[in-house]
Amino acid sequence: MRKLIILVLSLVFIGLVVSGCSNSKDASKDYVSEGPSDNFNEEGFPIVEEQITLKFFARKSPPNGPYNEMKMFNEYEQMTNIDIDWDDVPQDGFQERKSLEFSSGELPDAFYKSSITPLEAVEYGSSGVLIPLEGLLEEYAPNLTALYNEYPEIKSSITAPDGHIYALPAILTLNAARTDKIWINKTWLNNLELEAPTTPDELVSVLEAFRDNDPNGNGEKDEIPMTFRNFGQLLNSMIGSWGMIDQMGNHLMIEDGKVQFWMTDNRFKEYLQFLHKLYDENLMDRGVFTQEESNFVGNMASGNVGIFWNQTTDAFNKVKDDYTGISPIIGPDGDQLYSAGPIARDFGTFAITSKNEHPQATMRWIDHFFSEEGSIFFRYGIEGDTFHYDEEGLPEYTDEVLNSDQGLGPTIGQFTPWPGGGSPQFVTEKNASAINPPEAQEAQEMLDPFLPDPIYGTPIFDEDTTKEVDQIRQDMDQYFEESASKFITGDLSFDKWDDYVSTIEGMGLDRLTEIYQEAYDRTN
Amino acid sequence: MSNATAKRKKALKRILSRFDLYLMLLLPISWYVIFQYGPMYGLQIAFKDYNPIQGFIGSEWVGLENFTRFFSSYYFGRLLWNTLSISLLSLLIAFPIPIFLALLINEIKNLNLKKTLQNVTYIPHFISLVVIVGMLDLFLSPDGGFINIILNSLGIESIPFLEKPEWFKTIFIGSNIWQNMGWQSIIYVAALSGIDHQLYEAAKIDGASRLQRIIHVSLPGIFPVIIILLILDIGQFMNVGFEKILLMQNNLNLESSEVIQTFVYRNGILNGDYSYSTAIGLFNSIINFALLLLINRYARKKAETSLW
Repeated sequence: MRKLIILVLSLVFIGLVVSGCSNSKDASKDYVSEGPSDNFNEEGFPIVEEQITLKFFARKSPPNGPYNEMKMFNEYEQMTNIDIDWDDVPQDGFQERKSLEFSSGELPDAFYKSSITPLEAVEYGSSGVLIPLEGLLEEYAPNLTALYNEYPEIKSSITAPDGHIYALPAILTLNAARTDKIWINKTWLNNLELEAPTTPDELVSVLEAFRDNDPNGNGEKDEIPMTFRNFGQLLNSMIGSWGMIDQMGNHLMIEDGKVQFWMTDNRFKEYLQFLHKLYDENLMDRGVFTQEESNFVGNMASGNVGIFWNQTTDAFNKVKDDYTGISPIIGPDGDQLYSAGPIARDFGTFAITSKNEHPQATMRWIDHFFSEEGSIFFRYGIEGDTFHYDEEGLPEYTDEVLNSDQGLGPTIGQFTPWPGGGSPQFVTEKNASAINPPEAQEAQEMLDPFLPDPIYGTPIFDEDTTKEVDQIRQDMDQYFEESASKFITGDLSFDKWDDYVSTIEGMGLDRLTEIYQEAYDRTN
Repeated sequence: MSNATAKRKKALKRILSRFDLYLMLLLPISWYVIFQYGPMYGLQIAFKDYNPIQGFIGSEWVGLENFTRFFSSYYFGRLLWNTLSISLLSLLIAFPIPIFLALLINEIKNLNLKKTLQNVTYIPHFISLVVIVGMLDLFLSPDGGFINIILNSLGIESIPFLEKPEWFKTIFIGSNIWQNMGWQSIIYVAALSGIDHQLYEAAKIDGASRLQRIIHVSLPGIFPVIIILLILDIGQFMNVGFEKILLMQNNLNLESSEVIQTFVYRNGILNGDYSYSTAIGLFNSIINFALLLLINRYARKKAETSLW
């Protein structure tokens, strides 16, 4: 009996320890009118006269070195007089550490590169753990405000339903950083005396020629006419030619202010039928449904592929002269749209907590990285040490960095946190030569006229709506992906299309459309 | 002084005189309490709408909502069927094979041959799962996988095995057998070597053939071990090889590869829907627990061997 009591007591004790958390503050506190202290400068550097220390919680990706030793941040500390005490947590188990950080009450002053999800932003924002940023942005973030004014869709994708902004995204105004280019093997085209395809029929005949006519001239039928990274890319690759692209981070389009999911659209059926034809006649790589990323990268690098989609040339550097970028094909109804990621990518890269005693200074600290000068500083480090300007005035890493034995990513990751993704950063034509070599830029020009404008990011819902959306999509997404895959491979015949449509509708498509419509209306 | 207190005193004395040994128990016990029983406290969130800010205690009770959501999910029937059928088939097919292997190894008298066979069958156990699945991918690939090359040379068209739901269970269980039969047979080999040699000699003198000796001496000799392992296996009945299934899954074979555990992982852990995934996990554990009780009771009655 006594043993049992002890056991129960210890369980309760452990429970108390585990659940000891929960601190919340009133969110209505106004962080702007409070007024800055004498120590704070509203403009220029340093940001504060006397040094202050802030504790930042950050994710450390595999290529990143320790944050406290990053040259770029150390230099920035000299400039701003703000010393950042970094709690840089490795990527493995990061999500758990972040949840603990949120719930333990031992809050940092800010979350940096922490991939805060929309749900987290709403939950912790409305409960007062994260502070609303819109006032601070207005007053102390001229660079970010200018960008938000120039691209209004950024604001709509980061504003919570209660009208507050709790977390900042990364901003990529460079189109080339947001699209997969369409690469075609021009050597094969030349060998077979073919033109780049412009319609579905031409595409089929070019692929047939790639399949049958031995374009690499080795006497074997070993060519892969067309391949894709994975199922998601396969689905999105040519769908714009059937008039549909993803908006709001989802399989939906916005036509005349109306939100419409295209999963049940008749044009989508036609598109699937086209993909089925490609699959059935072995015109595309059948491994797409099962392969690992490494298979795809290997295929690209081998140069033995006719057509594939990829952002830039680094993965197939050795054979890149064989490839050229082309425009999307013109669909049966004359459509020629092309999908791209939104300008406000990577939601939740930066957020300030209620524990922070210097929110103004913190906002000014982050805002600098969204200026032209600051963004180059962020991505390239210190002039003369880690980069220099080339003849055209564009930044370029020093040879020492470029030729490092460690590999480019890890070397850059020693002095700035951007390798590994998800940083609060500003990517433009000027500061992205690494992802923007001339070949990729040329390929991008083939796509630019076909990008939709604007591209809306995933909207933020309040907590209850998020849950409702999750519940609907939990079944729906899986059913959709599974069925679409089967339509393509022919495991599901198109006779069953109507069943498929009614199943999707039965899962709550109308309600989902309604929710997204509301989100769209709210911000437009 | 009553009898009971005297007994207790005696026990206490015994413990005190060997206190250092008992001290060593402290570590495993606290490990169990902290890591095995402690987390059970968190099970309550299966009945709550868990929110990390409010914590385990503060979160709102929602009753059986998470369970009803799971049971009314579009995929519930399929999940349950896949989980049960994969478990059942594994049990029926994969469980006896290590026993046969052990009997075989036991019968081989040539020491070199015996060692070689054991090594060959053990090795796959030491290959990491990711590599195993990668190998399956390669072997079964419709273009260039050696299985399909063999099929082609026999005049049969390539089969994209991993994309066909009807092949999934065969591949999963087949490769499981290949991976584990050697390893699992070790315990039977050990049990077999513990059987008294006089029994074999006596059987021989009585004129029993080799097969008869296996059936009447070897098998009964390891029968208790078989039952115990069977019960232990059944306790894990619903926990089919989660990591391997997840690695082998793709959109095309989901129909027969989606099991409760992968569903929990994808919808609960990846989406951060902790309450929901806890509810599903709890459901899974309850089935396991019920099966374990059932089979243990049955074994105790019929085979007179049991875990407790």
